[in-house]
Amino acid sequence: MTREEILKDLKQRFKEDIVNFFDKSPKRVYMEIKPESLVKCASYIFKELKARFNIASGVDSRTAIEILYHFSLEYINLLVSLRVKLNRNNPQIDSLAPVFKGANWIEREIHEILGVDFKGHPDLRRLLLPDEWPKGVYPLRCDYTEWDKNAIRDRGV
Amino acid sequence: MKLPKVRELSEAVKALLSKPYTSKFPKKPHQPYHNFRGQPIYNQEKCVGCLACEEVCPVEAIAHEDQVDPANPMRIMIHYTDTCIFCGSCEAACIADNEGIKLSTEWDLAFFDRKASQETIEKELQLCEICGQPIACKDHLKWIAEKIGELTYSSPTLYLTRLKSLGIVDENLISASRDYGRSDRVKILCARCRRESTLSTSTK
Amino acid sequence: MAKSVIPIGPYHPLQEEPEFFTLTVDGETVVDIDVNIGYNHRGIEKLSELKTFDQSTFVIERICGICSTSHPFAYTRAVEDIIPVEVPERAKYIRTTIAEGERVHSHLLWLGLAGHFLGYNTVYMWVWKLREEILDVMEILSGNRNNYAIFKPGGVRRDFNPDDIPLALRKIDSIVPTLNKLKKAIIDDPVLHARLKGIGILTREDALDYCALGPTSRASGVAKDVRKDAPYGAYDQVDWDMIVTQNGDVFEKVVVRVLEVFESIKIMKQCLMNLPPGEIDLNIKNIPPGEGIGAHEAPRGETFHYVRSDGTNRPARHKVRAPTFMNLPTCKSTVIGETISDATIILASVDPCYCCTERMAVRTSEGKRIYGGQDLIRLSQEKTQRIRRKMGIK
Repeated sequence: MTREEILKDLKQRFKEDIVNFFDKSPKRVYMEIKPESLVKCASYIFKELKARFNIASGVDSRTAIEILYHFSLEYINLLVSLRVKLNRNNPQIDSLAPVFKGANWIEREIHEILGVDFKGHPDLRRLLLPDEWPKGVYPLRCDYTEWDKNAIRDRGV
Repeated sequence: MKLPKVRELSEAVKALLSKPYTSKFPKKPHQPYHNFRGQPIYNQEKCVGCLACEEVCPVEAIAHEDQVDPANPMRIMIHYTDTCIFCGSCEAACIADNEGIKLSTEWDLAFFDRKASQETIEKELQLCEICGQPIACKDHLKWIAEKIGELTYSSPTLYLTRLKSLGIVDENLISASRDYGRSDRVKILCARCRRESTLSTSTK
Repeated sequence: MAKSVIPIGPYHPLQEEPEFFTLTVDGETVVDIDVNIGYNHRGIEKLSELKTFDQSTFVIERICGICSTSHPFAYTRAVEDIIPVEVPERAKYIRTTIAEGERVHSHLLWLGLAGHFLGYNTVYMWVWKLREEILDVMEILSGNRNNYAIFKPGGVRRDFNPDDIPLALRKIDSIVPTLNKLKKAIIDDPVLHARLKGIGILTREDALDYCALGPTSRASGVAKDVRKDAPYGAYDQVDWDMIVTQNGDVFEKVVVRVLEVFESIKIMKQCLMNLPPGEIDLNIKNIPPGEGIGAHEAPRGETFHYVRSDGTNRPARHKVRAPTFMNLPTCKSTVIGETISDATIILASVDPCYCCTERMAVRTSEGKRIYGGQDLIRLSQEKTQRIRRKMGIK
């Protein structure tokens, strides 16, 4: 299938789920979908379109917490990014780890760094932060303040 | 399975008979390639003291200190060698044709005393004739004057600095225009004093 | 099956790197493995938000010493994708040369380490001697052996001097005969066949399910390479082949990496001999608000950077994904069922760049016996000697 056919098929199939569709350039497409339909869209793109899951980026913009899931379709040189916007006070979304194993680690990382709860993840432990890091302090949020009062920030100069 | 062994044996014999691959450092000094990015060195004639290298340094390894003593105003720029990452951004950002600070091939920079691992340069600073605050280094004003050509004559700060450095202007010329109340406008001023002297007619 | 627990590491004075290996074993077979990382996490994504786009390149370069080109390359491509804009031709060739030089030195480094894990210390010393020639070439071209400081959003910072190029070409040509001998020695060696063939198999379905990348997946028959699928730089203007094999065991991974070295040398020579004239930098003044994605085929797989800009001169969000992040979890399917003495070489065949992935320590929830990294390497070297004795080669 060519690029135009695939995009038309996506727009048609997920008509109620797509909030915004941005065709930026021949190689980049950004699709914003509702959080409830994430597993449906992601499974379709991964299994039927045979895409490869690249990574998920969690962003804290001031109004919402966004997660972008990047899939690349190598055979037509296209990168599709699915964007979901979550509520800042209580961000939660369904986990993609049962669908394909590549999403396991990145969801653990977003969980501890941004505080997003992934429902249905088999093993939501800490990945990167040390054990003595306090609960509830999420480093990548824009209102993060230094919690360790004894930390030395010295350039030596 | 003898055949593969001959191949490796020939390489082993060759390695045995040739001289060691390592160099004779420290008995012989090591000379890096001419492209090697080593310690940045300031050039006293070319540097204009504009602080562009300080702005652009990714690790804040350059700092400056202004001494506003009216008898001997100086700007001292300090490059901290222990913080430097030898990236070359300062050389690329230097406005004096990339010659004010240049990366040499010096690589032997170990030290015992951390306070001594610095490179400094001192440039003469131009102070405002009314309030005494620093405007810029004298070489920087001369550089601007040369670069904008005849537009220099739109600003007394610039043209007086240039003409003074050429030796054309001296105190006699300035004192002749001293008594009309607008004399402040023909002085070397910082930006704030220049705005005030243009907008108001009283002198301080 | 001793029930005593001997934890070694991660901060033990005798270790070379912080590794904490714990495997659940039953006799000689590994039953479960768990990966625990985070010992070298430096907060680079948060640090990127404090620097301007130009200054951030230097922080990104120092994520990893071995893949010091992959991260800036992907990052500058991501920033240029925000606008979007294409760099001049000469800049593309310069970037490609440096990237391929880095691939050669990284694969040779891995080959030496694989030799060390197996007990072939001579291979270790010889391959690292060859690697010195490539590091000299990088010093001639860019000014430093690692951390080249040559990438910039919009082009490159420094130009190649045409007087240096003949010397660089001579040095590259001087290592090719020895590499040819090494390739034949590796592919024919019977001890290596007995040691490495048929262990640590990653099937094609698992490679697709874990989304593995780079030589790890190309050895399992997945023919994906960013340089061929989404060409950038000068990769579509020079002549080279993608190396894909079918079986997915450790031997195939070694073969894929050795053959890739030859392809990289071919690309480097073509780029150096055909450098087009022209500008090297676009002098981008400001970045508009938007998002950009950049990818580059690092020696270990695809590096992926996502940059979001809000119109100021600093990035608003910078996401870094190293290839080892997707390759490491595959150890769950390759190590389970193998013996302990093979564990080291299987884990090393993924070519884990610990710095890129914030270090790795292996730990299980309940371990019957705990081995440290040095113990596993020693066991692996002993197995090679046993195989040698069995085949009558001393």
